[in-house]
Amino acid sequence: MPASSLMTQPPVPSKPQSEPPQVELPARKRPITSVGAAGTGASGSQYPVIEAIKRGETPEPRRHESVMGVPAILEVKDFQLWYGQNKALHGISMPIADGKITSIIGPSGCGKSTLLRSVNRLNDLVDGVRTAGSISLRGEDVYARGVDVISLRKRLGMVFQKPNPFPMSIFENVVYALRISGERNKAVLEHACEKALRQSALWDEVKDRLRGSAMGLSGGQQQRLCIARAIVCEPQVLLLDEPCSALDPIATLRIEELILEIGQRYTVLIVTHNMQQAARVSDYTAFMYLGRLVEYGRTADIFQLPRLRETEDYVTGRFG
Amino acid sequence: MTPSSVATPPAPEANASGWSRESGQAPPESSAGATLRRAKLGDALLGWACRLSAALIALMLISLIVVLVHSAWPAIRQFGPGFLVSSEWRANEIERPVRDAAGKLILRDGETVMETLPPAFGALPVIWGTAVSSAIALLIAVPISLSAAIFLVRVAPKLKIAGAASFLIEFLAAVPSLAFGVWALFVLAPIFQTYVGPFLYRIFEPIPGLRWMFYESVTVAGRTIERPIPLTGRDLFTGSLILAIMILPIVTSVSRDVLRAVPRTQIEGTLALGATWWQSCIAMLRYGRSGLMGAIMLGLARAAGETMAVTMVIGNNNQISPSPFAPAQTMASVLANEFGEASEGLHRAALLYVALILLTMSLIFNVIARRLVIGRLASVSH
Repeated sequence: MPASSLMTQPPVPSKPQSEPPQVELPARKRPITSVGAAGTGASGSQYPVIEAIKRGETPEPRRHESVMGVPAILEVKDFQLWYGQNKALHGISMPIADGKITSIIGPSGCGKSTLLRSVNRLNDLVDGVRTAGSISLRGEDVYARGVDVISLRKRLGMVFQKPNPFPMSIFENVVYALRISGERNKAVLEHACEKALRQSALWDEVKDRLRGSAMGLSGGQQQRLCIARAIVCEPQVLLLDEPCSALDPIATLRIEELILEIGQRYTVLIVTHNMQQAARVSDYTAFMYLGRLVEYGRTADIFQLPRLRETEDYVTGRFG
Repeated sequence: MTPSSVATPPAPEANASGWSRESGQAPPESSAGATLRRAKLGDALLGWACRLSAALIALMLISLIVVLVHSAWPAIRQFGPGFLVSSEWRANEIERPVRDAAGKLILRDGETVMETLPPAFGALPVIWGTAVSSAIALLIAVPISLSAAIFLVRVAPKLKIAGAASFLIEFLAAVPSLAFGVWALFVLAPIFQTYVGPFLYRIFEPIPGLRWMFYESVTVAGRTIERPIPLTGRDLFTGSLILAIMILPIVTSVSRDVLRAVPRTQIEGTLALGATWWQSCIAMLRYGRSGLMGAIMLGLARAAGETMAVTMVIGNNNQISPSPFAPAQTMASVLANEFGEASEGLHRAALLYVALILLTMSLIFNVIARRLVIGRLASVSH
């Protein structure tokens, strides 16, 4: 890497600073731009961990003690994933706290969505995907031989970036997961539908037109419908893949409120590129970069007392 | 009015200056100006040539309809809309003995009384033949086509054979219909006659209520008798089978395009909820249902208009029989069979009347199909 040859200063040890003083800003601007442009220059001095990652190394992530002791529902252990020849995830190890909201942040292409889609094995669909390591849901490795992927996915709910209602009625959308499991009892379906719609704060808006097409809803309503659809089977973990990236600010706000509410009942794992969103909704935050976990801890700590300068500068918007 | 004009004062100024500068350039005559004029003339010529070509195509369709209506006019005038529901088809006048209600010959002075029936034409048998053969063809072809389309979209890419498989299926569309006809006549029909027909007879004939499939009632010499339909392999069923094979490529390739346009998020959405592979395929079909309807309509249009192969195996009998194993006739096959011999004016006109109905039907199917397919693909693309 040219970065090392151009290194002019020894690496500055990254000291967590709660609020960087104004005077330091000009000095930091240089590395920011160079990272953004080509990743060359003297930036190595500023971000040793990022530089190491760019050289292809996998530095030990900073996992805060506060997150390691909690009871975990999901346990990711040395998980690696390749798309053909490209390695997209490098030895990710992290517990996901039971009953809490955990967010994964990081710049585009850092593998956060890939990690999320590895949990319910949606990556299996992609050609040439290989994995190593393990992801355990309540102690069961989801990548073990003989795992029933269909029943695994039934225990996990997922919501995607763009609202993807099916072209059928609102009612049929919500109860889809039950229908494909063979549930026919009308009373059961109606009860489940109402419960899910109430939990996703959509009931009052749609209760009079449950038989109407879901395609007629607004974007925000569609996304709440997708959340209702994902929680109708009471999943053990709810996976949210940038659920607000296609929504306007007001709809985003409503979804965030909803996530906080749903977090009371379910374990939520949310991928977001919106740092404020992670700060607002989650209990724990993981920062990823180029397929590596960089820092992982309580959200308050990650945003206010990060141990790495990389994390601090990323969450304050100085780099990434 | 006033506020807006006040709010945007610079715009008219800029416009005016731009315009005046352009017009100011025009007066000095130069070679550049001449080139420009020549280019403008070329543009105009080419523009009109394009318009004319487009108009010519539209004109061709219109003239086709006009000529058809004109030549069919004697039949239209004589039979009117009743043509569509009449099942008589007599190209020549016939003489036959008159019978009474009991079927006895009426004798007068020791001789049978004869009556003369004038030529009569009705399109119901051929409409029936076309409708039933197309329906059976769709019944056979659509499940196969949709399965093949799912295979091409969801399985073939992983096996890296999508291109080859698509090519083979589309190549079927390029096979001349005569080739299909010959194959049907020399392969399909004998197979049906020796194996499939007797097999079906053994299975279905004993079932009560299915007798109509294998027996027909005929009136001979005033008496109605029931006799078995000879399973020759040249019947409505074989005709439908060859039609099914012929519409497979178009239905498959259009369905494939429709299914390919189903957003990935739809498929992933169903899978993430625990749908099996099969359930997610059903969801795909549901998402593309209107486009798939269009694909089926295109197949229907092709089946209804298909001529040569059907003519060779359908048996060419102008009758309405409930049995799929009886020979029949379609609109296209009656034209192919009889047009060459139709010397008499009314016969010819009647055939052209049939052609007009066929053209109208195909036009309607095509318009509906195009609306469904293009509408779906356009709405999905953004």
